[in-house]
Amino acid sequence: MRLLSAPVALQFERVEVRKLVKLYGATRALSGLDLDLKAGEITSIEGPNGSGKSTLLSILALLSRPTRGSLRFGSHDPSRLPALRGRIGLVGHAAMVYPDLSGDENLALLSRLHDAGDHALSEMGKRFELGAFMQRPARTYSRGQLQRLSLARALLNRPALLLLDEPSTGLDGRGVERLCEAVRQERDRGAIVALVTHDTALAERLADRRVRLRRGRLEQAERAGEPA
Amino acid sequence: MRALWRASLALLGKELRIELRTGEVVLMTGLFATLVTVLTSLSFYLDTRTALRVAPGVLWIAVTFAGVLAMGRSWAREREHDVFRGLLMTPMPRAALYLSKVASSLIFLAVVELVLVLQVAVFFNVELFAVALPLLSLLGLGSVGFVATGNLFAALSVRTRARDMMLSVIVFPVVAPALLCGVVATRELFAGAPMSDIAAWMQILGAFDLAFLAAGIALFDVLIQD
Repeated sequence: MRLLSAPVALQFERVEVRKLVKLYGATRALSGLDLDLKAGEITSIEGPNGSGKSTLLSILALLSRPTRGSLRFGSHDPSRLPALRGRIGLVGHAAMVYPDLSGDENLALLSRLHDAGDHALSEMGKRFELGAFMQRPARTYSRGQLQRLSLARALLNRPALLLLDEPSTGLDGRGVERLCEAVRQERDRGAIVALVTHDTALAERLADRRVRLRRGRLEQAERAGEPA
Repeated sequence: MRALWRASLALLGKELRIELRTGEVVLMTGLFATLVTVLTSLSFYLDTRTALRVAPGVLWIAVTFAGVLAMGRSWAREREHDVFRGLLMTPMPRAALYLSKVASSLIFLAVVELVLVLQVAVFFNVELFAVALPLLSLLGLGSVGFVATGNLFAALSVRTRARDMMLSVIVFPVVAPALLCGVVATRELFAGAPMSDIAAWMQILGAFDLAFLAAGIALFDVLIQD
Protein backbone atom coordinates (compact mmCIF):
# COMPACT_ATOMS: atom_id res chain seq x y z
CA MET A 1 0.00 0.00 0.00
CA ARG A 2 1.57 3.29 -1.05
CA LEU A 3 0.89 6.33 1.07
CA LEU A 4 2.52 9.01 -1.01
CA SER A 5 0.76 9.11 -4.32
CA ALA A 6 3.35 11.35 -6.03
CA PRO A 7 6.95 10.82 -4.94
CA VAL A 8 8.79 14.11 -4.54
CA ALA A 9 12.54 14.54 -5.03
CA LEU A 10 13.62 14.95 -1.44
CA GLN A 11 17.35 14.62 -1.77
CA PHE A 12 19.72 16.80 0.24
CA GLU A 13 23.36 16.58 1.15
CA ARG A 14 23.61 19.35 3.66
CA VAL A 15 21.69 20.74 6.60
CA GLU A 16 22.21 24.42 7.31
CA VAL A 17 21.27 25.96 10.62
CA ARG A 18 21.50 29.76 10.69
CA LYS A 19 21.03 32.09 13.66
CA LEU A 20 18.66 29.63 15.26
CA VAL A 21 16.81 30.87 18.33
CA LYS A 22 14.38 28.83 20.40
CA LEU A 23 12.56 30.34 23.33
CA TYR A 24 10.44 28.45 25.85
CA GLY A 25 8.67 31.35 27.52
CA ALA A 26 11.47 33.38 29.08
CA THR A 27 13.97 30.54 28.77
CA ARG A 28 16.38 30.80 25.84
CA ALA A 29 17.27 27.25 24.75
CA LEU A 30 19.10 28.29 21.56
CA SER A 31 20.68 31.71 21.10
CA GLY A 32 21.54 32.29 17.46
CA LEU A 33 23.14 28.94 16.67
CA ASP A 34 24.96 28.41 13.34
CA LEU A 35 25.82 24.88 12.28
CA ASP A 36 26.38 22.88 9.08
CA LEU A 37 25.90 19.14 8.81
CA LYS A 38 27.20 17.36 5.73
CA ALA A 39 26.45 14.10 3.96
CA GLY A 40 28.91 11.30 4.66
CA GLU A 41 29.95 12.81 7.96
CA ILE A 42 29.16 11.99 11.57
CA THR A 43 28.92 15.13 13.70
CA SER A 44 28.74 14.72 17.45
CA ILE A 45 26.91 17.45 19.33
CA GLU A 46 28.09 17.67 22.91
CA GLY A 47 27.71 20.04 25.81
CA PRO A 48 26.46 20.24 29.38
CA ASN A 49 22.82 19.85 30.39
CA GLY A 50 20.82 22.88 29.27
CA SER A 51 23.23 23.75 26.46
CA GLY A 52 20.51 23.26 23.82
CA LYS A 53 21.46 19.84 22.40
CA SER A 54 18.02 18.25 22.77
CA THR A 55 16.28 21.37 21.51
CA LEU A 56 18.50 21.42 18.44
CA LEU A 57 17.81 17.74 17.83
CA SER A 58 14.08 18.30 18.17
CA ILE A 59 14.22 21.11 15.59
CA LEU A 60 16.35 19.02 13.22
CA ALA A 61 13.78 16.21 13.59
CA LEU A 62 11.06 18.73 12.61
CA LEU A 63 9.30 18.02 15.90
CA SER A 64 9.75 21.58 17.07
CA ARG A 65 9.76 24.92 15.27
CA PRO A 66 12.47 27.50 15.88
CA THR A 67 11.38 30.85 17.28
CA ARG A 68 13.74 32.63 14.86
CA GLY A 69 16.44 31.74 12.39
CA SER A 70 16.47 29.39 9.45
CA LEU A 71 16.83 25.69 8.85
CA ARG A 72 17.42 24.33 5.37
CA PHE A 73 17.78 20.77 4.14
CA GLY A 74 19.82 21.32 0.97
CA SER A 75 17.66 23.59 -1.17
CA HIS A 76 14.50 22.68 0.76
CA ASP A 77 12.75 24.67 3.45
CA PRO A 78 11.40 21.93 5.76
CA SER A 79 8.65 24.16 7.12
CA ARG A 80 7.13 24.20 3.62
CA LEU A 81 7.76 20.55 2.79
CA PRO A 82 6.43 18.24 5.53
CA ALA A 83 7.24 15.17 3.39
CA LEU A 84 10.87 15.75 4.38
CA ARG A 85 9.96 14.06 7.67
CA GLY A 86 10.11 10.82 5.74
CA ARG A 87 13.83 11.42 5.06
CA ILE A 88 14.79 11.64 8.72
CA GLY A 89 15.58 8.77 11.08
CA LEU A 90 15.85 9.04 14.84
CA VAL A 91 17.46 6.62 17.26
CA GLY A 92 16.99 7.49 20.91
CA HIS A 93 17.34 5.62 24.18
CA ALA A 94 13.62 4.79 23.92
CA ALA A 95 12.80 2.28 21.17
CA MET A 96 9.72 4.20 19.87
CA VAL A 97 7.78 1.01 19.28
CA TYR A 98 4.45 -0.24 20.67
CA PRO A 99 5.23 -2.70 23.46
CA ASP A 100 1.99 -4.65 22.89
CA LEU A 101 2.73 -5.24 19.20
CA SER A 102 5.33 -7.67 17.97
CA GLY A 103 8.48 -6.41 16.28
CA ASP A 104 7.10 -7.55 12.92
CA GLU A 105 3.84 -5.68 13.49
CA ASN A 106 5.67 -2.54 14.57
CA LEU A 107 7.88 -2.55 11.49
CA ALA A 108 4.96 -3.37 9.17
CA LEU A 109 3.02 -0.38 10.53
CA LEU A 110 6.01 1.94 10.13
CA SER A 111 6.65 0.58 6.67
CA ARG A 112 3.09 1.51 5.65
CA LEU A 113 3.35 4.97 7.16
CA HIS A 114 6.70 5.53 5.45
CA ASP A 115 5.60 3.85 2.24
CA ALA A 116 8.80 1.84 2.51
CA GLY A 117 7.62 -1.41 0.93
CA ASP A 118 8.28 -5.07 1.73
CA HIS A 119 11.83 -5.05 0.37
CA ALA A 120 12.85 -2.57 3.07
CA LEU A 121 11.40 -4.86 5.73
CA SER A 122 13.33 -7.88 4.53
CA GLU A 123 16.49 -5.79 4.14
CA MET A 124 16.23 -4.63 7.75
CA GLY A 125 15.49 -8.18 8.88
CA LYS A 126 18.73 -9.42 7.34
CA ARG A 127 20.83 -6.46 8.33
CA PHE A 128 19.92 -6.56 12.02
CA GLU A 129 19.37 -10.33 12.33
CA LEU A 130 15.75 -9.92 13.32
CA GLY A 131 14.81 -13.50 14.02
CA ALA A 132 12.05 -15.47 15.70
CA PHE A 133 11.80 -12.99 18.58
CA MET A 134 10.15 -10.52 16.19
CA GLN A 135 6.88 -12.41 16.52
CA ARG A 136 6.69 -11.81 20.28
CA PRO A 137 5.32 -8.58 21.82
CA ALA A 138 8.07 -5.97 22.03
CA ARG A 139 7.57 -5.62 25.79
CA THR A 140 9.18 -9.05 26.22
CA TYR A 141 12.41 -8.06 24.42
CA SER A 142 15.84 -7.83 25.96
CA ARG A 143 17.62 -4.47 25.68
CA GLY A 144 19.70 -5.81 22.82
CA GLN A 145 16.68 -7.07 20.87
CA LEU A 146 14.92 -3.78 21.45
CA GLN A 147 17.94 -1.91 20.13
CA ARG A 148 18.02 -4.00 16.94
CA LEU A 149 14.33 -3.29 16.42
CA SER A 150 14.90 0.40 17.13
CA LEU A 151 17.70 0.59 14.56
CA ALA A 152 15.58 -1.21 11.98
CA ARG A 153 12.71 1.21 12.68
CA ALA A 154 14.91 4.28 12.29
CA LEU A 155 16.66 3.09 9.13
CA LEU A 156 13.64 1.55 7.41
CA ASN A 157 13.12 4.65 5.26
CA ARG A 158 16.84 4.99 4.31
CA PRO A 159 17.10 8.39 6.00
CA ALA A 160 19.13 11.18 4.46
CA LEU A 161 19.47 12.65 7.95
CA LEU A 162 20.07 10.28 10.84
CA LEU A 163 19.69 11.73 14.33
CA LEU A 164 21.01 9.89 17.37
CA ASP A 165 19.84 11.00 20.81
CA GLU A 166 21.94 9.42 23.56
CA PRO A 167 21.72 6.14 21.66
CA SER A 168 24.14 4.17 23.85
CA THR A 169 22.18 4.59 27.10
CA GLY A 170 21.74 1.21 28.77
CA LEU A 171 23.57 -0.76 26.08
CA ASP A 172 26.23 -3.36 26.80
CA GLY A 173 29.50 -3.60 24.86
CA ARG A 174 27.97 -5.72 22.08
CA GLY A 175 25.08 -3.28 21.74
CA VAL A 176 27.41 -0.29 21.45
CA GLU A 177 29.47 -2.16 18.86
CA ARG A 178 26.34 -2.91 16.81
CA LEU A 179 25.24 0.71 17.07
CA CYS A 180 28.63 2.01 15.89
CA GLU A 181 28.66 -0.40 12.98
CA ALA A 182 25.18 0.62 11.83
CA VAL A 183 25.95 4.34 12.14
CA ARG A 184 29.20 4.02 10.16
CA GLN A 185 27.35 2.10 7.44
CA GLU A 186 24.82 4.93 7.20
CA ARG A 187 27.59 7.51 7.01
CA ASP A 188 29.33 5.50 4.27
CA ARG A 189 26.03 5.26 2.39
CA GLY A 190 26.02 9.07 2.31
CA ALA A 191 23.68 9.96 5.15
CA ILE A 192 24.10 13.07 7.28
CA VAL A 193 24.55 11.86 10.85
CA ALA A 194 24.13 13.96 14.01
CA LEU A 195 24.95 12.33 17.33
CA VAL A 196 23.81 14.04 20.52
CA THR A 197 25.58 12.50 23.48
CA HIS A 198 27.18 12.99 26.86
CA ASP A 199 29.26 9.89 26.19
CA THR A 200 32.67 11.31 25.26
CA ALA A 201 34.04 7.86 24.49
CA LEU A 202 31.25 7.21 21.97
CA ALA A 203 31.79 10.62 20.35
CA GLU A 204 35.56 9.99 20.09
CA ARG A 205 34.92 6.60 18.58
CA LEU A 206 32.31 7.63 16.01
CA ALA A 207 32.49 11.30 15.16
CA ASP A 208 34.29 12.77 12.15
CA ARG A 209 33.59 16.19 13.56
CA ARG A 210 32.79 17.25 17.10
CA VAL A 211 30.90 20.36 18.07
CA ARG A 212 30.23 21.61 21.55
CA LEU A 213 27.30 23.78 22.56
CA ARG A 214 27.14 26.11 25.51
CA ARG A 215 24.14 28.24 26.45
CA GLY A 216 22.51 27.66 23.11
CA ARG A 217 25.52 28.67 21.01
CA LEU A 218 28.31 26.89 19.24
CA GLU A 219 31.27 27.02 21.62
CA GLN A 220 33.74 24.80 19.83
CA ALA A 221 34.05 22.78 16.61
CA GLU A 222 36.85 20.43 15.71
CA ARG A 223 37.66 17.68 13.24
CA ALA A 224 38.24 14.25 14.77
CA GLY A 225 41.59 14.31 16.48
CA GLU A 226 42.61 17.91 15.72
CA PRO A 227 41.23 21.34 16.65
CA ALA A 228 39.61 23.23 13.75
CA MET B 1 -6.71 12.87 0.91
CA ARG B 2 -5.97 9.26 -0.02
CA ALA B 3 -2.81 9.34 2.04
CA LEU B 4 -4.82 10.61 4.99
CA TRP B 5 -7.36 7.79 4.82
CA ARG B 6 -4.80 5.08 4.25
CA ALA B 7 -2.64 6.20 7.15
CA SER B 8 -5.77 6.55 9.33
CA LEU B 9 -6.82 3.00 8.50
CA ALA B 10 -3.33 1.64 9.19
CA LEU B 11 -3.31 3.34 12.59
CA LEU B 12 -6.89 2.29 13.35
CA GLY B 13 -5.88 -1.30 12.63
CA LYS B 14 -3.06 -0.89 15.13
CA GLU B 15 -5.45 0.49 17.76
CA LEU B 16 -7.87 -2.41 17.35
CA ARG B 17 -5.10 -5.00 17.36
CA ILE B 18 -3.67 -3.69 20.62
CA GLU B 19 -7.12 -3.50 22.21
CA LEU B 20 -8.04 -7.03 21.10
CA ARG B 21 -4.77 -8.20 22.63
CA THR B 22 -4.98 -6.30 25.92
CA GLY B 23 -8.65 -5.36 26.30
CA GLU B 24 -7.58 -2.69 28.75
CA VAL B 25 -9.54 0.30 27.44
CA VAL B 26 -12.90 -1.44 27.04
CA LEU B 27 -12.56 -3.48 30.24
CA MET B 28 -11.42 -0.56 32.37
CA THR B 29 -14.04 1.87 31.08
CA GLY B 30 -16.77 -0.79 31.07
CA LEU B 31 -16.13 -1.60 34.71
CA PHE B 32 -16.07 2.07 35.61
CA ALA B 33 -19.33 2.77 33.78
CA THR B 34 -20.94 -0.23 35.49
CA LEU B 35 -19.85 1.06 38.86
CA VAL B 36 -21.38 4.48 38.14
CA THR B 37 -24.66 2.89 37.05
CA VAL B 38 -24.94 0.54 40.00
CA LEU B 39 -24.02 3.16 42.61
CA THR B 40 -26.37 5.77 41.22
CA SER B 41 -29.20 3.27 40.93
CA LEU B 42 -28.74 2.40 44.59
CA SER B 43 -28.60 6.07 45.55
CA PHE B 44 -31.38 7.53 43.43
CA TYR B 45 -33.90 4.77 42.84
CA LEU B 46 -37.13 5.72 44.57
CA ASP B 47 -39.92 4.76 42.21
CA THR B 48 -40.42 4.18 38.49
CA ARG B 49 -41.08 7.84 37.65
CA THR B 50 -38.09 9.17 39.58
CA ALA B 51 -35.88 6.47 38.10
CA LEU B 52 -36.85 7.50 34.57
CA ARG B 53 -36.00 11.12 35.37
CA VAL B 54 -32.60 10.20 36.80
CA ALA B 55 -31.67 7.69 34.08
CA PRO B 56 -30.61 10.16 31.32
CA GLY B 57 -28.19 11.92 33.65
CA VAL B 58 -26.71 8.63 34.85
CA LEU B 59 -26.32 7.39 31.30
CA TRP B 60 -24.51 10.49 30.04
CA ILE B 61 -22.36 10.88 33.14
CA ALA B 62 -21.22 7.27 32.82
CA VAL B 63 -20.57 7.68 29.08
CA THR B 64 -18.57 10.88 29.42
CA PHE B 65 -16.48 9.76 32.39
CA ALA B 66 -15.81 6.44 30.71
CA GLY B 67 -14.92 8.31 27.52
CA VAL B 68 -12.35 10.49 29.28
CA LEU B 69 -10.80 7.37 30.82
CA ALA B 70 -10.75 5.60 27.44
CA MET B 71 -9.12 8.50 25.60
CA GLY B 72 -6.57 9.04 28.35
CA ARG B 73 -5.54 5.40 28.29
CA SER B 74 -5.51 5.28 24.50
CA TRP B 75 -3.09 8.22 24.29
CA ALA B 76 -1.00 6.86 27.14
CA ARG B 77 -0.03 4.08 24.73
CA GLU B 78 1.64 6.66 22.53
CA ARG B 79 3.68 7.85 25.50
CA GLU B 80 5.19 4.46 26.28
CA HIS B 81 8.59 3.98 24.67
CA ASP B 82 8.22 7.47 23.14
CA VAL B 83 6.17 6.11 20.22
CA PHE B 84 4.45 9.45 19.72
CA ARG B 85 7.73 11.08 18.67
CA GLY B 86 8.40 8.26 16.24
CA LEU B 87 4.95 8.62 14.66
CA LEU B 88 5.29 12.37 14.28
CA MET B 89 8.45 11.79 12.27
CA THR B 90 6.72 9.76 9.59
CA PRO B 91 5.59 11.59 6.44
CA MET B 92 1.92 10.70 6.98
CA PRO B 93 -0.55 13.57 7.35
CA ARG B 94 -0.62 14.07 11.11
CA ALA B 95 -4.39 14.37 11.10
CA ALA B 96 -4.37 10.60 10.40
CA LEU B 97 -3.26 10.02 13.97
CA TYR B 98 -6.16 12.13 15.23
CA LEU B 99 -8.72 10.44 12.98
CA SER B 100 -7.57 6.96 13.98
CA LYS B 101 -7.91 7.89 17.65
CA VAL B 102 -11.39 9.34 17.08
CA ALA B 103 -12.50 6.20 15.23
CA SER B 104 -11.03 3.79 17.77
CA SER B 105 -12.45 5.76 20.72
CA LEU B 106 -15.86 5.62 19.06
CA ILE B 107 -15.64 1.87 18.63
CA PHE B 108 -14.49 1.29 22.22
CA LEU B 109 -17.12 3.65 23.58
CA ALA B 110 -19.85 2.03 21.47
CA VAL B 111 -19.11 -1.33 23.09
CA VAL B 112 -19.30 0.23 26.54
CA GLU B 113 -22.48 2.13 25.64
CA LEU B 114 -24.25 -1.05 24.53
CA VAL B 115 -23.59 -2.63 27.92
CA LEU B 116 -24.44 0.60 29.68
CA VAL B 117 -27.80 0.98 27.95
CA LEU B 118 -28.78 -2.52 29.04
CA GLN B 119 -27.72 -1.81 32.60
CA VAL B 120 -29.61 1.48 32.73
CA ALA B 121 -32.69 -0.24 31.30
CA VAL B 122 -32.55 -2.86 34.05
CA PHE B 123 -31.60 -0.64 36.98
CA PHE B 124 -33.80 2.33 36.07
CA ASN B 125 -36.79 0.52 34.65
CA VAL B 126 -36.53 1.92 31.11
CA GLU B 127 -38.73 0.31 28.42
CA LEU B 128 -35.82 -0.31 26.10
CA PHE B 129 -37.66 -1.70 23.08
CA ALA B 130 -39.64 1.50 22.67
CA VAL B 131 -36.61 3.80 22.74
CA ALA B 132 -33.64 1.65 21.71
CA LEU B 133 -33.06 3.01 18.22
CA PRO B 134 -33.36 6.75 18.94
CA LEU B 135 -31.45 6.29 22.21
CA LEU B 136 -28.54 4.61 20.46
CA SER B 137 -28.63 7.29 17.76
CA LEU B 138 -28.47 10.03 20.38
CA LEU B 139 -25.61 8.30 22.17
CA GLY B 140 -23.80 7.77 18.88
CA LEU B 141 -24.14 11.40 17.82
CA GLY B 142 -23.17 12.66 21.27
CA SER B 143 -20.17 10.37 21.34
CA VAL B 144 -18.81 11.59 17.98
CA GLY B 145 -18.58 15.20 19.16
CA PHE B 146 -17.28 14.14 22.54
CA VAL B 147 -14.42 11.97 21.24
CA ALA B 148 -13.64 14.45 18.45
CA THR B 149 -12.98 17.11 21.07
CA GLY B 150 -11.55 14.80 23.70
CA ASN B 151 -8.93 13.31 21.43
CA LEU B 152 -7.73 16.72 20.33
CA PHE B 153 -6.92 17.65 23.92
CA ALA B 154 -5.83 14.15 24.91
CA ALA B 155 -3.08 14.43 22.28
CA LEU B 156 -1.80 17.51 24.08
CA SER B 157 -1.87 15.63 27.35
CA VAL B 158 0.77 13.20 26.04
CA ARG B 159 3.35 15.89 26.75
CA THR B 160 1.78 17.27 29.93
CA ARG B 161 2.47 16.17 33.47
CA ALA B 162 -1.01 16.79 34.92
CA ARG B 163 -2.50 15.00 31.91
CA ASP B 164 -5.56 13.33 33.46
CA MET B 165 -6.69 16.43 35.26
CA MET B 166 -6.00 18.64 32.24
CA LEU B 167 -8.08 16.45 29.96
CA SER B 168 -11.16 16.57 32.20
CA VAL B 169 -10.78 20.27 32.98
CA ILE B 170 -10.54 21.30 29.32
CA VAL B 171 -12.83 18.82 27.60
CA PHE B 172 -15.98 19.12 29.70
CA PRO B 173 -16.48 22.88 29.32
CA VAL B 174 -15.87 22.65 25.56
CA VAL B 175 -18.33 19.82 24.96
CA ALA B 176 -20.88 21.04 27.53
CA PRO B 177 -23.36 22.33 24.92
CA ALA B 178 -23.36 19.01 23.07
CA LEU B 179 -23.68 17.05 26.31
CA LEU B 180 -26.59 19.22 27.42
CA CYS B 181 -28.33 18.50 24.10
CA GLY B 182 -27.77 14.79 24.62
CA VAL B 183 -29.09 14.79 28.18
CA VAL B 184 -32.16 16.89 27.37
CA ALA B 185 -32.97 14.84 24.27
CA THR B 186 -32.66 11.60 26.26
CA ARG B 187 -34.90 13.01 28.97
CA GLU B 188 -37.53 13.93 26.36
CA LEU B 189 -37.20 10.51 24.79
CA PHE B 190 -37.75 8.71 28.09
CA ALA B 191 -40.70 11.03 28.80
CA GLY B 192 -42.36 9.87 25.57
CA ALA B 193 -41.75 12.93 23.34
CA PRO B 194 -42.57 12.47 19.63
CA MET B 195 -39.76 11.54 17.27
CA SER B 196 -39.97 14.93 15.55
CA ASP B 197 -38.77 16.58 18.80
CA ILE B 198 -35.95 14.09 19.18
CA ALA B 199 -34.95 14.54 15.54
CA ALA B 200 -34.45 18.25 16.14
CA TRP B 201 -32.00 17.48 18.95
CA MET B 202 -30.25 14.99 16.71
CA GLN B 203 -29.73 17.68 14.07
CA ILE B 204 -28.14 19.96 16.65
CA LEU B 205 -25.89 17.13 17.83
CA GLY B 206 -24.96 16.38 14.20
CA ALA B 207 -24.00 20.01 13.67
CA PHE B 208 -21.83 19.94 16.81
CA ASP B 209 -20.18 16.76 15.53
CA LEU B 210 -19.29 18.28 12.19
CA ALA B 211 -17.93 21.43 13.81
CA PHE B 212 -15.85 19.50 16.39
CA LEU B 213 -14.49 17.07 13.79
CA ALA B 214 -13.57 19.80 11.33
CA ALA B 215 -11.88 21.81 14.09
CA GLY B 216 -10.01 18.71 15.25
CA ILE B 217 -8.68 17.85 11.80
CA ALA B 218 -7.69 21.46 11.15
CA LEU B 219 -6.10 22.13 14.54
CA PHE B 220 -4.41 18.85 15.41
CA ASP B 221 -1.14 19.47 13.58
CA VAL B 222 -0.89 23.00 14.97
CA LEU B 223 -1.66 22.01 18.55
CA ILE B 224 0.88 19.19 18.77
CA GLN B 225 3.71 21.38 17.48
CA ASP B 226 6.20 22.19 20.18
